[in-house]
Amino acid sequence: MDPGFYLQLLLNGIVIGVIYALVAMGLSLIFGVLEIVNFAHGEFYMLGAMLAYFLTMNVGLGYWATVLVVTAVAVGVGYVLYEALLASLHGGGFERSILLTLGLSMVLQNGAVFLFTTTPKMVQTPQSYTNIVVGDLRVSLMRVLALVLGLLAFGALYLILYRTRVGRAMRGVAQNRDAALMVGIDPRAVSRLAVAIGIGLSGLAGAALAPVYAVHPLMGFSFVFKAFAIIIIGGLGNIAGAAIAAVALGVLESVVGGFLPLVMVDALVFSSMIAILLLRPQGLFGRGVRV
Amino acid sequence: MTALRGLLVALGVAALFAVPKLTGNEYVLALGVSFATFGVLSGGLNLVYGYTGLLSFAQVGFFGIGGYTAALLVTEQGWSLLAGAAAGGVLAALVGLVIGYSSLRLSRHAFAIVSLSFALLCMIVARDWVSLTRGAMGIPGLPIPSMKLPGGLRWRLSQPADFYYLLLGFAVIAQAAIYLVVTSRLGRAMRAVKLNEPLAQSQGINPLSYKLLAIALSALLAGMVGGFFVFYLTIVDPSIFDFYYTETMLIMVIIGGPGSFWGVLGASAVLAALPDLLRFTTDLRMVLYGAVLIAAMLVFPGGVGGWLQRRRLKRWRRPSLAAP
Repeated sequence: MDPGFYLQLLLNGIVIGVIYALVAMGLSLIFGVLEIVNFAHGEFYMLGAMLAYFLTMNVGLGYWATVLVVTAVAVGVGYVLYEALLASLHGGGFERSILLTLGLSMVLQNGAVFLFTTTPKMVQTPQSYTNIVVGDLRVSLMRVLALVLGLLAFGALYLILYRTRVGRAMRGVAQNRDAALMVGIDPRAVSRLAVAIGIGLSGLAGAALAPVYAVHPLMGFSFVFKAFAIIIIGGLGNIAGAAIAAVALGVLESVVGGFLPLVMVDALVFSSMIAILLLRPQGLFGRGVRV
Repeated sequence: MTALRGLLVALGVAALFAVPKLTGNEYVLALGVSFATFGVLSGGLNLVYGYTGLLSFAQVGFFGIGGYTAALLVTEQGWSLLAGAAAGGVLAALVGLVIGYSSLRLSRHAFAIVSLSFALLCMIVARDWVSLTRGAMGIPGLPIPSMKLPGGLRWRLSQPADFYYLLLGFAVIAQAAIYLVVTSRLGRAMRAVKLNEPLAQSQGINPLSYKLLAIALSALLAGMVGGFFVFYLTIVDPSIFDFYYTETMLIMVIIGGPGSFWGVLGASAVLAALPDLLRFTTDLRMVLYGAVLIAAMLVFPGGVGGWLQRRRLKRWRRPSLAAP
């Protein structure tokens, strides 16, 4: 087979990997700061994609406007989620947080199934079939845009975490909650922001992926488990590790999926996660933030 | 157990065994089978989560492994049902030990996530290892099993009532095993590990071995009940690993009260019958379950069992009125 084919697979893999990374980084951020494993994370990705579908097909918003609105709504939902549910869990209660967010996921997912049925929907716009051709490579515009959005979000998250006071506060809380309290950081404000950013990233991922793949209510459910595997492999609470593991997974899926049934890749992901826990319990990249 | 309570339990079990004699209604028997099965599953989860403090999503994986193992051994190797189910339980327990050992070295957080991935992995394997599990179609048309009884008799399980007896009988044994564990020194050690692991360690309790014991026992019971249950269904397919089972088990344990044997058993009975009484579509039922889970976590984390326990403690602590 010609190298163009491999390059194509590689590029597709990077696009899907970047989307995985958006979801996994949000999950990792929330775990790092709040010590909460958010089972409902995938549902916000699903709702983001649903909202993007609705805005594009029914309201007629353009691509960038849709992405902006969905991300803004997701950030708002993150604030509400923290204030309404997660704030009451603070301190102790890892299992409680899982069960609470699992309940939330059941409500959102089955509610969406009830309202929208499980029929997949396609977001179709005039640009859906536009391709960018570079030499032998032929990539759909929507994938390129998804990639650009993902990279922009990476950059924004990096700037927030490492170049702003509030980002420093967030990392501080993740490293040592008590010490952060002692120097006057309000853990509540920081946690709220972390949840808002995490959910916002998830919504953004949904909006970016909606024009590339079909949208349906169960999309978040299968996705979030992959994201769990990613954050374990990358090291719990290690955001950069999660991003690297996510992109690697996307590429692996795409390249291996070109030759083997994709389902084998799913099995590979989960078995490699268990193997990594056996061999390197701290994850491939260790813990960037101590939890 | 006081003598009175023992008598009540014996009467209750006898009444349950008498049900097929009183009514031939298959619907009632189906509810009984559902209660027996879910009772064992949620009892095992209670042992792991309620007593030992490890949130596990792996129960459904053990359940399905038992089901598949029993189905394959009976149909392809000609084993008897009992041997097949026992083999399924043992295999599930071994798998449980591997998962528990690998993830508990890190933390109980990792165990929760790994147990979840394990359950998903089971479904993927069942769906895609076509040469062994026959893929998404599953293994339909499982034969009517028969069991050797003492005295050279053979018991052909051809009627719904036969499966009712079988699953109820197994459930009684399984619940008795769980009860014996949680009321013995083992159960107290498990509870100590849950409440304060460093303190338990300082008392010479090795937390890992008690955690592994709880996981292995719950896996053994779940695997065996899975082996029996698939012959009741007469089919085993990847949907036996459905997340629905996990969610239902969790709701039973949470509502009944983690760490409360009778609470979880009662909740299993109520919730096994409830979905059939509430004739919702599955989607709405799961929305309701989810809402119940959220509400329970926010305001009622101890469940019914925890609430009763708090009330009892309050009564004990009340100053006696007779005192001067």
